[in-house]
Amino acid sequence: MMTIETIVFYLFAALSVFAGLRVITARNPVHAALFLVLAFFSMAGIWLLLEAEFLAITLVLVYVGAVMVLFLFVVMMLDVDLVQLREGFWRWFPIGALLAAVMVGEMIWVLGNRQTAETGAEVIKHAADYSNTKELGRLIYTDYVYPFELAAVLLLVAIVAAIALTLRQRRTAKRQDVAQQVAVKRNDRVRLVSMPASARVSTQAQPDEAAASDQQKH
Amino acid sequence: MSFLSTLYSAYAEIFLLVMVSVILIADLFTAGRTKTVTYLLVQVTLLGCSLITVATHRDGIDHLFHHMFVDDLMSDVLKLLSYMAISMMLVYSRSYLLARGLFSGEFLALVLFSLLGMMVMISASNFITLYLGLELLSLSLYAIVALQRDSAIATEAAMKYFILGALASGLLLYGMSMLYGATGTLDVNAVSSAIQHGVPNKALLVFGLVFVVAGLAFKLGVVPFHMWVPDVYHGAPTAMTMLIGTAPKLAAFAFVMRILVEALQPLMVHWSGMLAILAVLSMALGNISAIAQTNLKRMFAYSTIAHMGFLLVGVLSGSNEGYGSAMFYAVVYVIMSLGGFGMILLMSREGFEADKLSDFKGLNQRSPWLAFMMLLLMFSMAGVPPTVGFYAKFAVLNAAVQAGHIPLVILAVLFSLIGAFYYLRIVKLMYFDAPESHERIYMQPDSSLLISLNGLGVLILGILPGTLMSVCAVSVQQSLLLPH
Amino acid sequence: MSHMQNLYLLVPLAPLLGAIAAGLFGNILGRKWSHRITIALVAVSFAASVAIFKDVMAGHQFNGTVYKWMTSGDASFEVGFLIDRLTVMMMLVVTFVSLMVHIYTIGYMEEDPGYQRFFSYISLFTFSMLMLVMANNFMQLFFGWEAVGLVSYLLIGFWFKRETAIYANLKAFLVNRVGDFGFLLGIALILMVFGTLDYAAVFANAGRYVNDFAPIPGVSWNLITAICILLFIGAMGKSAQFPLHVWLPDSMEGPTPISALIHAATMVTAGIFMVARMSPLFELSETALSFVMIIGAITALFMGFLGIIQNDIKRVVAYSTLSQLGYMTVALGASAYSVAVFHLMTHAFFKALLFLAAGSVIMAMHHDQDIRNMGGLRKYMPITWITSLIGSLALIGTPFFSGFYSKDSIIEAVEYSHLPVSGIAYAAVLAGVFVTAFYSFRMYFLVFHGEERFGKDHHDHQGDHDDEEVASDHHHGLAPGQKPHESPWVVTVPLILLAVPSVLIGLVAIEPMLFGNYFLDAIYVGENHRVLDEMHEEFHGAIAMALHSFISLPFMFALAGVVSAWYFYMKKPSIPAAIKQRFTGVYTLLDNKYYFDIFNDWFFAGGARGTSRFLWKFGDVHLIDGVMVNGTAKLVGRFSGVLRKAQTGYVYHYAFAMITGVFVLLTVRTWFE
Repeated sequence: MMTIETIVFYLFAALSVFAGLRVITARNPVHAALFLVLAFFSMAGIWLLLEAEFLAITLVLVYVGAVMVLFLFVVMMLDVDLVQLREGFWRWFPIGALLAAVMVGEMIWVLGNRQTAETGAEVIKHAADYSNTKELGRLIYTDYVYPFELAAVLLLVAIVAAIALTLRQRRTAKRQDVAQQVAVKRNDRVRLVSMPASARVSTQAQPDEAAASDQQKH
Repeated sequence: MSFLSTLYSAYAEIFLLVMVSVILIADLFTAGRTKTVTYLLVQVTLLGCSLITVATHRDGIDHLFHHMFVDDLMSDVLKLLSYMAISMMLVYSRSYLLARGLFSGEFLALVLFSLLGMMVMISASNFITLYLGLELLSLSLYAIVALQRDSAIATEAAMKYFILGALASGLLLYGMSMLYGATGTLDVNAVSSAIQHGVPNKALLVFGLVFVVAGLAFKLGVVPFHMWVPDVYHGAPTAMTMLIGTAPKLAAFAFVMRILVEALQPLMVHWSGMLAILAVLSMALGNISAIAQTNLKRMFAYSTIAHMGFLLVGVLSGSNEGYGSAMFYAVVYVIMSLGGFGMILLMSREGFEADKLSDFKGLNQRSPWLAFMMLLLMFSMAGVPPTVGFYAKFAVLNAAVQAGHIPLVILAVLFSLIGAFYYLRIVKLMYFDAPESHERIYMQPDSSLLISLNGLGVLILGILPGTLMSVCAVSVQQSLLLPH
Repeated sequence: MSHMQNLYLLVPLAPLLGAIAAGLFGNILGRKWSHRITIALVAVSFAASVAIFKDVMAGHQFNGTVYKWMTSGDASFEVGFLIDRLTVMMMLVVTFVSLMVHIYTIGYMEEDPGYQRFFSYISLFTFSMLMLVMANNFMQLFFGWEAVGLVSYLLIGFWFKRETAIYANLKAFLVNRVGDFGFLLGIALILMVFGTLDYAAVFANAGRYVNDFAPIPGVSWNLITAICILLFIGAMGKSAQFPLHVWLPDSMEGPTPISALIHAATMVTAGIFMVARMSPLFELSETALSFVMIIGAITALFMGFLGIIQNDIKRVVAYSTLSQLGYMTVALGASAYSVAVFHLMTHAFFKALLFLAAGSVIMAMHHDQDIRNMGGLRKYMPITWITSLIGSLALIGTPFFSGFYSKDSIIEAVEYSHLPVSGIAYAAVLAGVFVTAFYSFRMYFLVFHGEERFGKDHHDHQGDHDDEEVASDHHHGLAPGQKPHESPWVVTVPLILLAVPSVLIGLVAIEPMLFGNYFLDAIYVGENHRVLDEMHEEFHGAIAMALHSFISLPFMFALAGVVSAWYFYMKKPSIPAAIKQRFTGVYTLLDNKYYFDIFNDWFFAGGARGTSRFLWKFGDVHLIDGVMVNGTAKLVGRFSGVLRKAQTGYVYHYAFAMITGVFVLLTVRTWFE
């Protein structure tokens, strides 16, 4: 039975599969990143169909708005040589495609056959005033507080790992230390040397000679 | 009842998380390259966790956080063993990492985070927590492998580990989502009872199961999901290899138990067949490939693959004995690996990695005691009595025979025989070949004591395996609530 | 009860701890602390045994598992103790003799570089022996059995740089292997039939199988007989019974303290103990009992003959041990288990005493062991002399001495036995009395009396200089003019302490052990084998028995033996030489030990070598090495090389492998369901 929802679902599904394929086949890395954005959009559409409005919007905001923009920046700045990365891609493509096709065929055969057309556990129907966002908010801090906290720890690990991997204290690098600059005393920088009015030749002779030879070179 | 006391069973995890945060901050204020204070704090944390785990142990099964977290005997035992493994790993690897400038506060924090991940996995009773624990562990491990940034091979290993790990996570998640679709729940016990009560779409269940098994197989490192193992073991600095190769296997075992046994026991006919394929392939490929290796770490990698295949033989027996023996095997494997990698770490020094087979030539002449310890460890890995490795193999095979998997047992024995070759080759190198260098082996007193304990432990456990075996059997039996 | 259990555990574990301390940390501990620790721990073990003895005498027994070692199928293998009166007696004997030997060793091994190692070994031996006697199941019995064998092997070859020692320990090992093979088969048969290795369970069910046949295809042996004879073959190896006796004389290559501890007092009696322990089984088979008796009788008499012509002081004692073990075996055959065990106990004391005294003499003679080079030592070493005399008197069965009670009881028991072979056995043991007395006093007179033959420049180096270190600077034999002197107190004190029970233990223990109810149910005797009851009717107290014996046949034989030894070697030393001349044939036969060694060398060793060579040349080199080992190795190696290439290092190959894996699993699951 074809309802409008089914049509929309297949539209978005086809779009996301297409976008996914293009991500790996596009020659230009910027195009690949943009196809990824398209994939995210179509997934967000599917989530909307599932009445998960909050997640759909978050997906667009976070992934498309933040992550992908950052990703694009990196791609543009690094000037990735995709041609080199893709070396051998087309050589292996037939085998990969064959396997993929067989897999897809098999999955269709397994999931789409016989009496199992209507699948899975029963879907819960919600009332009209049901708010997905509110439910999510309630669950995440009650039933799912433990996974929620774990996710937070996961982020902490990501931060620690990122810092540990990228922070590099080079001994040769020149850096400003503001605290040191502020705390500096006059005596640290300026040294008053009392010079006698008349210099003795014996003590001054060597620097003079050096200066003289320097001048000769010039 | 105060709020905190409701978290009674998770005190160890909470304590660990608090302590990691403390250590992260404290590390900023401790000067010195040797990081003694941080290191001691970490060891104290591990000790504290052990005490808390012992103190908060209660008989029976206790659920927490809306059935997301489970505390049972198996989880307590596995956690205690994980603390022990991590602590031993740190003792072994300290001087090695110091010499290479890798012994940083971040490293220690990441190690503890990975431990937290293992604990979450061990104590998970929901697919979400299982997955999050797994990711916590994996993410920490990816970073730890990559810590040696100047080493191209380590970076490459980390990259491979990361990408393939992500792929495996994808497979696992896909499988889990199928299971969710079929049963409508993510709770392991609820999944089990849902399947028992009959689900509309059995094909969907089995379909999901395939992907879940694939994800598990990656974590265990069994063929054909094993390809990352040799490269990562070889590429990572030995101390990191030791971390990857030891305690996480206990968590992986718990993971297998929670998913395949607690949640999907009704599908045993399906998964035991899959595990049998994986087990045979792993034992075959692991043992045969190990022979061609010249690098000890790589050899250990293949030996791990073979050992994990063996462990699966215990799991797929599908009986209490089988699970108990598999747990025993996992524990024994961890103890042996700690010793094996510990030996490489002890022999290494600044600017020199003792990870080639030829580095062990004539070890008996340089240090008879070390050679003897290595001999015990190798005998144990090969399964030569009276070391504990023999008993572990014996227990697994015994369970498999009782379950009627005779052809599998015959294959396992055959491949073990092939495997004995490369372990015994090391013994031959140590005792019958002339040493290539006569460099003195300098050992820290703590790690040299530990290697002695480790080597002798393998022997003593082999002579008196009863206690550990019954601990494993009882904890599996009590925790999984299976009929006798 | 758990308090007592701890005590039970302490008994074997204390010596084990000592062995570990002296063995692993001997270099750190040094000589002094090594012996202090081991001796203290063995003393602890002895004290605990005494405490357990008191407890058992108060009526407490124990039979239970201490540690579950492993389970395989239905059979479980456990470490368990059976503490009853038989066990506790053995524990006392083992720990006491071991303690004496430990102390004695301080003096005897003083100059040896392997001092700590030696202490470690003897403590390890004590542990193993205790595990053996305390076992409540066949598994542990076998463990102890093999462990004592191992330590014995190590100790015989203690001076491993000496060719003869290596040969001797190899021989001991191989001969014991033959016995152990039978023993293991027996245990396997028990496990197969009874499904358990627990003593109590086996004994309780044994009656049901009396008329069954052994499950061995092709033969129709009685099951119980087969089990008993197989087990007894094990005992024949361990207790050196004919024809597996050949290893014991050679085992004298080991240091004297262990000859006393292992090859006289304890280990060699393990076979006797085991048969006594298995009495509920042996009682069910008259055939097995007859077999036991005839083997014992042969050993008792014929090994005694060999003692007559030996010139090495330790070998004389060794052959006497063989003969005495034969006596014990005969008693077992006569169903007089308690008498056998009684003789085992008295023999442990006086034979350990004789060995240690021999060791003392050897030390005085600077490691010359040839009795022809001794003589008149009585003046120089009074304590050794007196204690040796006591030991010898006990050995030949002089009334009132411990050996008298046990040996006379054996002879009497055989006399009362109704087995068909008991007539021959009776004659053999009676003749054995004469022989024993003769060789014992031959040795005694040659060593302690007569002219002083030492200190002459006789150094022809022909004798067996057994107890000598290989070090070239270590001279042996006394230099001309040098006089022997008494050994230090660490040597003489154990001698004195052992002399006391050698004299008294028989007098004290005969009544409770043989006729009283000492063993309770530890030993079972069948209805029609109650020889002891018949003996009991004749028994009117220990003193009366001794007094009565002065007119008995065995006493006459013993007296005759002593007198003829005196006459031959003191009065007319020319006689032995003349006899030797006259009966060359007999002498050669004895000198070659009935040609057993030569036969074994030719038939077994040579035959085995021949067969091995054939198997090696054809089977190994061609078939196994050529085709199977190298063939498979090559195949595996090639395969391994191929697999190695599969590990390309490219991530996408790896990912591809993973996806293929998923595909395979999926296919297998969905298509082959």
